[in-house]
Amino acid sequence: MIEAIEVFFDFGQTPALRGASVSIREGEILAVMGPSGSGKSTLLHCLAGILVPKSGEIRLSGTRIDTYPESERSSLRRDTFGFVFQFGQLVPELTAEENVALPLLLGGVRRNDALARAREWFGRLGIDGLERRRSGELSGGQAQRVALARGLVARPKVLFADEPTGSLDSLTGELVMELLVTAARQDGTTVVLVTHEPRVAAYADREVVVRDGRVSSLTPDLAP
Amino acid sequence: MALAVSLGVAMLLLTLATINGLGAQNARGAWMATNPHSQRPTQRGGELSVTTPSLGSPIWWIVSSNQFENQLIVQIDVAATGAHPLIPPGIPSLPGPGQFYASPALAALLRTTPASELGSRFTGTMIGTIGASALPSPDDLVIVEGQSEHTMAEISGASVITSFVTSSSDGGPDTSGTTGLQIILAVLALVLLFPVLVFVGAAMRLSAARREQRFAAIRLAGATMRQVSVIATVEALVAAISGVTIGFCLYFVTKPALVHVPFAGQPLQASDLSIGLVDVLVVAIGVPIAAAVVARVALRRVQLSPLGVTRRVTPQPPRAYRVLPLIAGIAVLAYFVSVGRPTSASAQVQAYLLGFFLTMLGLVLAGPWLIMTGSKLMASRTSRVPVLLAGRRLSDNPKGSFRAISGLILAIFVTSVSVGTISTILADHGSTSSSAPASRTVTDQFAFTTNNSIPSVSQSVVESLRSIRGVKGVTIVYVAPANLRIDGRVPNINGLGGDLQDGLVSCAELASTPALGRCHAGATYAALGDDVAFMRVTRSVTVAASTTWPSAQPTTNVTKLPVQLIAVATNGSTSVIEKVQTVLDRDFMFESTTSLFGEVDAKSSQLLNELRTSSEVVTLASLLIAGCSLAVAMAAGVSERKRPFGLLRLSGAPLGVLQRMVAFETAGPLLVISVASAMTGFVASDLFLRSQLGLTLRPPGMSYYFIVGGGLVGALAMIASTLPLLDRSTRPQNVRME
Repeated sequence: MIEAIEVFFDFGQTPALRGASVSIREGEILAVMGPSGSGKSTLLHCLAGILVPKSGEIRLSGTRIDTYPESERSSLRRDTFGFVFQFGQLVPELTAEENVALPLLLGGVRRNDALARAREWFGRLGIDGLERRRSGELSGGQAQRVALARGLVARPKVLFADEPTGSLDSLTGELVMELLVTAARQDGTTVVLVTHEPRVAAYADREVVVRDGRVSSLTPDLAP
Repeated sequence: MALAVSLGVAMLLLTLATINGLGAQNARGAWMATNPHSQRPTQRGGELSVTTPSLGSPIWWIVSSNQFENQLIVQIDVAATGAHPLIPPGIPSLPGPGQFYASPALAALLRTTPASELGSRFTGTMIGTIGASALPSPDDLVIVEGQSEHTMAEISGASVITSFVTSSSDGGPDTSGTTGLQIILAVLALVLLFPVLVFVGAAMRLSAARREQRFAAIRLAGATMRQVSVIATVEALVAAISGVTIGFCLYFVTKPALVHVPFAGQPLQASDLSIGLVDVLVVAIGVPIAAAVVARVALRRVQLSPLGVTRRVTPQPPRAYRVLPLIAGIAVLAYFVSVGRPTSASAQVQAYLLGFFLTMLGLVLAGPWLIMTGSKLMASRTSRVPVLLAGRRLSDNPKGSFRAISGLILAIFVTSVSVGTISTILADHGSTSSSAPASRTVTDQFAFTTNNSIPSVSQSVVESLRSIRGVKGVTIVYVAPANLRIDGRVPNINGLGGDLQDGLVSCAELASTPALGRCHAGATYAALGDDVAFMRVTRSVTVAASTTWPSAQPTTNVTKLPVQLIAVATNGSTSVIEKVQTVLDRDFMFESTTSLFGEVDAKSSQLLNELRTSSEVVTLASLLIAGCSLAVAMAAGVSERKRPFGLLRLSGAPLGVLQRMVAFETAGPLLVISVASAMTGFVASDLFLRSQLGLTLRPPGMSYYFIVGGGLVGALAMIASTLPLLDRSTRPQNVRME
């Protein structure tokens, strides 16, 4: 589905990725682990088209996307990918349902349709009754589930989750991960999950480790 | 923040310099507004005696005015009463009989204009020019003419003075700063100060959002809230002091450009634009203190814990009752349209002041509610993300959004009222086409003299007028005797007047001056309404021209009656008109002012145009300042929402979505409030015109649209200049995830 081939990236004098390569199958949930500063978030950003590698390739369904101009990569992120971050991602002026509906509105869906589709996710993720709340009125776990709904509402092909449970307590984090995995499997969404927590990584089909800018597998690829 | 404060300080200083400049300009001409209070000399046994003054002996004094090519000429006639007379400013000595001093501009006109059109109005020889230190503007036309004591004693209205006014306190002949004008200009300057102060306040709040997270980290290190407050205060003080210093530099650099702005219809002199020690101290000390206060107040709105900003106080939403004063103000003005204006002048002032005050108060109070209501409506129905984001932001904090443009609402309202009213009055009186009879008829009206008339007009004056080539006819309107028989009722064509007696005119003469109306067929005499004598300040002259006056049958010798008005019909040529005015001014200088029939005379016209210009300049400046305030507010808003917007862009939202959101958020209220203020101003102006003057609002001239349009474009340009900040702050590559 999506792969990085010998990707190099640096921030000025600081190398972040040194020939990182990883391939993710369609529908797979991949956990990318590594210590702080290892380059795992940078790898995710390169896969998501946020950063352009200095060298190497990023392919989506066989097509190189690292050579796309920013406008096309932005369209890709909007139409094909979904994102869940650690924190600070909900727009504070909007209600929870409007936040979830945002990707649909950006895609040109009419307001009523977008809100109706957004509301479906509140039931799926166990946050019924919170549709009209603002982000400041939600707990951390509730806000993260709203963010998860926003990442999945447009049924992306690939969901990128960067430390999605990093700001949550362990119980809430497990709840969020279960919901994420369940929703992804139901919709056949490929998930690239960056985490430093083994418990979170355990939800994935496969784990890779980024160390010193390179990728190595922790678990064997059991795909036929 | 320092840069924004510096801009605000520079604008504040320029505004103060302008106020001082207008005062200085006015003060130079204040002596011309001297209001004689000295006793008239008493006559005992054929000799005159006067009180001995403390500085120079008293002088005879009378001020009058006339026009030349629509420019006002201020004429001051003086006569000494003894040795070492008081000397007016700007001249080395008091002119004697047959002598005069003229301003440089008038002296130049006298040299280049035929005497029959100008010079013959004045008697004597020019012996020098009036110094610039005594003239509000170098373009002013002023003459100080010497007369004999006996001549002055015969002039009604002339009095003896012992000193000159040093500030215009009672509004004499119009320099560029009579009291009335200066008060209005001061009000306009205050209206301008308000948005400047709002802008400075917005600049001080700019970095509040960024500082909060940093202060949270300091709290984590163990600092108390009190210590954080001290840090915030010191930071704000340092930034404000830097801003004040830069602001003063900006002021000195930009001040010369202000000289060319005709705040009062005439440019200021460079030396007029100055700031006093008090102004300097108020700004240099007041702005840093205000910055410190703002910083402390801003911190009180948040609760800083070591973990960050935990809770923010949600502003109370504005309620619907805020609209009531606005409705009440319009209702008061509309009431007087339906029932008629109050009868007494003082009641009229109270009534209209109440209406306008309520309307202005209502606009300021209703502004936030209007923004909140409109943005909620917008956000609840839209499918467009920029409109949704902007609408929510505005409805969450409408008071904050309104604050940046609150000064603008009053400026545009005041300007729209004044421009609408002034334009209508000038259009109504000056709108006669060049081919209309009124534009070719010169009148000399005596309605405003002490006795409302002069005893008679000598035949030599009439013959002098008729002998001017280009004069078509001369009509003398006499004061109708009390027992005059009139066939029917004399129409009151403007709804005003009624304080004078009607006029009596020969139909043969009236036929030669069609601008004044006509007689019934076969009539010898006709009775004219007294409002013909008020025509210069009342209704349209076209009504007079189409009026058929009722026939009258006088029983006395008409030519012995006092004269109310002289009208001279001409071929319209400027030269002929000036010759006619010269004859009339020479013979009736102190009894009246000549003008084209129905035209608001030069003095009022100049004053009205000055007010209109001042209002438009204030509006332009207010729009630009509002643009600065909005740009600063936008920068602060982007800084506050850098993370969510950055993640939004990272998730694929185009930059254009955020740019359009910002446009709606800032330009939206600016445009809506500007239009609402202008419309309210024009409605108020129309209601005032209908009830007070019986006129309907005419659209303002193109200068108003250019000024407002240009100001809006400038304001939008300032807002747009902050868009690169939006791009830089929210680039996906710059979003910090940890």
